[in-house]
Amino acid sequence: MLLFRSEEHIDRWSRARDLPRGATLTPDQCWRLAHGWYKDKIKPDWRRHTLEETEALLAEVDLTGRFWNLRDH
Amino acid sequence: MTSESAGTDGLTREVRLYVFSQAAESGQVPQPAQIAAALDRPVSEIGRAVKELAAGKVLILAPNDGNIWAANPFCAVPSGFRVEAGSKTYWGICIWDALGICAALGQDAVVTAPCGDCGEAMRLEVRGGNLVRGEGIVHFAIPAHRWWDNIGFT
Repeated sequence: MLLFRSEEHIDRWSRARDLPRGATLTPDQCWRLAHGWYKDKIKPDWRRHTLEETEALLAEVDLTGRFWNLRDH
Repeated sequence: MTSESAGTDGLTREVRLYVFSQAAESGQVPQPAQIAAALDRPVSEIGRAVKELAAGKVLILAPNDGNIWAANPFCAVPSGFRVEAGSKTYWGICIWDALGICAALGQDAVVTAPCGDCGEAMRLEVRGGNLVRGEGIVHFAIPAHRWWDNIGFT
C-alpha cells in the first residue's frame, strides 16, 4: 500500500507497471484501518482478527464492495 | 485468519512476545540468534517457532533465509516508510504499517513516506490518537482477498 501525491501520480504508477488501478483511501481512512488492525498487536493477549471482525473493520472505514471482499470470488 | 495457531504453543508465544516487545521498545526487530540468546533456547528451536509464526501470518520472513523481514507493523530493515515516536525511529513496509506502528505504540508520532510515483516525501502526524495531519492518497493495488498471495508486493 503506497502513498501518492495525487490521482495523476497513481495513474502514472499504474500505467508504468501495466496494472489496473486498485482502490484509494484518504490518509484518515488508512489511519482508522491501521488503528483497528494494529492497536493490540504488541499486547500479550493479541490474537488474529476473525474474518467477521476484519469485515466489520473494513465496513467501519467505509471500505465496501468487491475490491474489499475477503471471501472467495 | 481465524486463530493464532501460535497461541497454543508456549515457546512460540514467548517468541512472539519478545519480538514485538523488542520492536516496540527499541525500533529493532530481533533476529533468531538474538531471540535464542535472550530466551536461552537453541537457535534451532527459535527458528521453528519463527517459521510457525510466519505460517500463521504473524511475521513475514525474508526470502531464502530464516530471518524476519517484518513483525508487522514493524519492518526489520530501513524502508521509505519512517516513523518517529518517543525519540525512536521505526520503519514500516508500507503506509498502512507505518500508521500501524503509531497505533501499536499508542504514542504521538510523525510518519514520513515517499510518493510511490515521484518519490517526493510526505508527512503525516498522529497526536492524541487522531491523525492530525495527512497528505496524499493511499492506493491499494491488490484486492483484499489476494493480499497474502504476495504480501511483499501488496
